[in-house]
Amino acid sequence: MMTLLQGNWSLFIGRFHPLLVHLPIGMLIVAFILEVMSKNRRLAVLSAAVLPVLVFGALSAVAACIAGWLLSTSGGYDEDALDLHMWMGIGVAAISVLLCVFRRYALFRNAWLPVSFVMIVLLSAAGHFGGNLTHGEDYLTAALPFGKNRSAEATPAIANLPEAKVYDQLVMPILEEKCYSCHNEAKLKGGLRLDGMDNIKKGGENGPVIKDSVPEASELYKRLVLSESDDKRMPPKGKPQLTPQQLEILYWWIEQGASPTATVKELHRTARMQLVLDGMKPSGGSDANPFVPQEEVSEASGQDVAALEKIGVKVMPVANENGFVMINAVNAPGFGNKEAELLLPLKKQIVWLKLSNTQTGDSALKLISQLPELTRLHLENTPVTDAGLTHLAGCKQLKYLNLVGTKVTDKGILLLQKNAALKELFLYKTAVTPAALGQLRKAMPEMKIDTGGYVMPVLVTDTLVYRKQRT
Amino acid sequence: MHMSEKIIHEANERAAKYFSRRHFLQDCITGLGATALGSLLGGCNIFSGSGSGEMPQSLNPLEPRAPHFPARAKSVIYLHMAGAPSQLELFDYKPELQKLHNQLCPPSILEGKKFAFIRGVPKMLGPQAVFSQHGESRAWVSDHLPHFSKMVDDVSFLKAVQTDQFNHGPAQLFMHTGSARLGRPSIGSWVTYGLGSENSNLPGFVVLTSGGKTPDAGKSVWGSGFLPSVYQGVQCRSKGDPVLYITDPEGMDRDMRYQSIHAINEVNKLEYEAFQDPEILSRISQYELAYKMQISVPGVMDINDEPEYIHQLYGTQPGKEAFANNCLLARKLVEKGVRFVQLFDWGWDTHGTGEDLSIDYGLRNKSREIDKPISALLLDLKQRGLLDETLVVWGGEFGRTPMQENRDGKEMPYLGRDHHVEAFTMWMAGAGIRKGGSWGETDEIGFAAVKGKVAVHDIHATILQQMGFDHEKLTYQFQGRPFRLTDVGGHVIHEILG
Repeated sequence: MMTLLQGNWSLFIGRFHPLLVHLPIGMLIVAFILEVMSKNRRLAVLSAAVLPVLVFGALSAVAACIAGWLLSTSGGYDEDALDLHMWMGIGVAAISVLLCVFRRYALFRNAWLPVSFVMIVLLSAAGHFGGNLTHGEDYLTAALPFGKNRSAEATPAIANLPEAKVYDQLVMPILEEKCYSCHNEAKLKGGLRLDGMDNIKKGGENGPVIKDSVPEASELYKRLVLSESDDKRMPPKGKPQLTPQQLEILYWWIEQGASPTATVKELHRTARMQLVLDGMKPSGGSDANPFVPQEEVSEASGQDVAALEKIGVKVMPVANENGFVMINAVNAPGFGNKEAELLLPLKKQIVWLKLSNTQTGDSALKLISQLPELTRLHLENTPVTDAGLTHLAGCKQLKYLNLVGTKVTDKGILLLQKNAALKELFLYKTAVTPAALGQLRKAMPEMKIDTGGYVMPVLVTDTLVYRKQRT
Repeated sequence: MHMSEKIIHEANERAAKYFSRRHFLQDCITGLGATALGSLLGGCNIFSGSGSGEMPQSLNPLEPRAPHFPARAKSVIYLHMAGAPSQLELFDYKPELQKLHNQLCPPSILEGKKFAFIRGVPKMLGPQAVFSQHGESRAWVSDHLPHFSKMVDDVSFLKAVQTDQFNHGPAQLFMHTGSARLGRPSIGSWVTYGLGSENSNLPGFVVLTSGGKTPDAGKSVWGSGFLPSVYQGVQCRSKGDPVLYITDPEGMDRDMRYQSIHAINEVNKLEYEAFQDPEILSRISQYELAYKMQISVPGVMDINDEPEYIHQLYGTQPGKEAFANNCLLARKLVEKGVRFVQLFDWGWDTHGTGEDLSIDYGLRNKSREIDKPISALLLDLKQRGLLDETLVVWGGEFGRTPMQENRDGKEMPYLGRDHHVEAFTMWMAGAGIRKGGSWGETDEIGFAAVKGKVAVHDIHATILQQMGFDHEKLTYQFQGRPFRLTDVGGHVIHEILG
């Protein structure tokens, strides 16, 4: 009974430490300011106020020390960092008591100010290290307005999601954001460190936190989904919680074996995770369009652009201050193999090329294959044939290819296997057969092929007019 | 006075007006002010911060221009159901409301609320449709839209859209111009102002109406407001020739029309050089465009040359004014590089005042009229590889109440719902919109939005974002301050992107 009471009280009082410490901080600083001000002859009267303030400051410093010591016994802090903070705190309390004595008995008058100054320096240092213990060592430096922007680093824009490392790029940023502050080198709450794969594997005082790829049995996930009022809930009540997406990522990572090195593409994508991954794909924003390269390119020469504009072909930068261009021949139905030569001077810049309903033929495709940055190519209703598609392998970046209403056949589209980047292929109104489609789908499972020809069922309700029955 | 004398007199009078002492002094002052301001602002340009001020401004205001960042959407098809369709019979399934059917509305819901027509204590009206879940996304769609229910995995629903206008006119203005008061440019005008037109033979912004009436707010919903009038929507007629005088009148051949327009424009260019009024440029480009449209419009706007299976897909009946025809036209226009196609379909104002405007009959019939066309539009864009770069938006100007309308406190002849501003459903598809997505939730009876609230300006911000614009930077200097479509609001709805 006695021990139980004692244990409860010590922790309870200990938790007042963060509150109590602010009293000596305020009071001792005021005492120091009064001390300095009283040196001015006109304000000399203030000297009398120093002692009462100092006494309160010293008493609260002692109280804070006691509470701090009680709190430290609850464990979970890095010993070295804690020792430093503790001895500095005790130092502050001791000096403040000493100063009270000096003042009360008017001893060493000349030492009052210097000793006060030392006390304030010590106080600041103790406060800083105390803050580090609670919030983590990089709490202050992470928010530095200049230099390396750490918060941006913590949530990197994931441009190439399938190739992203699951632990490095998805899991670690979450732990860093929501868990590191209590589970780091300095503040091992529950004996657990979550900074670094080795530390996660080691687990905490209750053993490993990841068990056999079963998230529901692993403390690292289990505690995150406990009721918020539960003592074991992590992060504890009042601290920033994980978002549903972050929970889903941790669940998936543990379920798939908590590998330190796997990439997104290597792990099996559950339906739930696919939704989260879809949401993480870069969308909007200046650098997010999947059809425009990230790197920069010089602006196209005005002369080359003018040559195309002259025959009615529109050349437009994809965005302001972006060298890459999109080209649309909607006003140049006569655009054909000869005119395609005008594209070559812009080969570094062209990313989107819309040649639908023009005379673009197979020999034009030979020229187009020399456009290394091309990502979108519209060839619908043009005279291109299989012979033209043999050239397209040169467009390594090609992601979108529209062949609607062309004469391409099975032979031609099977050549597209060489375009590894191809994601979308449109074959409506072509002679391509299901057999070739099957083969292509097997070879390129990531690619979306649309052969169109959609019909809608005829329903009774299509023509049914609803009227009130009239009698 | 002879006719020619009259014209000369008028010209002299106009010139005199411009060169009066008052005008001279005014020009001196504003000119000086403008010069000073111009030098202060440096290369100030319509896109703040774009820094391309040194480029000589083209005489053609519809010259294609680059957006702020690479766009996901090259075109927008905006399907507006004028009158406001009932979300409670189409997409927002509320089984709890069924249980409360015919019970008096609890006063706690009505407290402090104003409705357009509901007075006193109305009764609750349960969903008048059978709902089921569809597709992999398990989206709820009622049996009013059997064809569209197969398309849910291609669209993203916004289930908690809110507006602050409960009358049609202001609400439509708000939805299309970002302000419930007259005078602001419409979304399509902003987009054409920002991007110009890719197809120099067609307008950048085309409007098609169906349902027998134009929207309550009038043509201002596709007006250009304070933007130069060249950016306003060009309304094409839904019946007969899409553009008047598209065929050459008797005794006037094409060449002669070209010569006359050429001569008029030469005069207009002189006017522009003298007065530098951008409206003159609008005039010039509209004459030119009108002439070019006579060549290209008959081909683009004629749905007769479409194959039979396409007509079957859309359910089109050539020659008739119909929403289906307009959907097919919208696809053809987008194919030709038109930036913004705005469809208005009138007849969704289901108060229950008559059979055609009732929840029990009219709404079913209206739903049938759009069900096949909108599904066909999505499928057709998809098979042509165009859905990828075309943003399709569907919605009304507000939603409808979970309570049955009791106009003047009386029982109505048909079931009806009143205007409702607090929560209604819209959807978007294509061009980087999440497939099978849904954002926002309403409470158990569909009265209030509880999660994922979306404001009208958020819709605008999202449309502009997909077109490659930062909605905060697409501005126009007017009356001494920069204006924008989203005024001081607008957040891109990232939840339905990607």
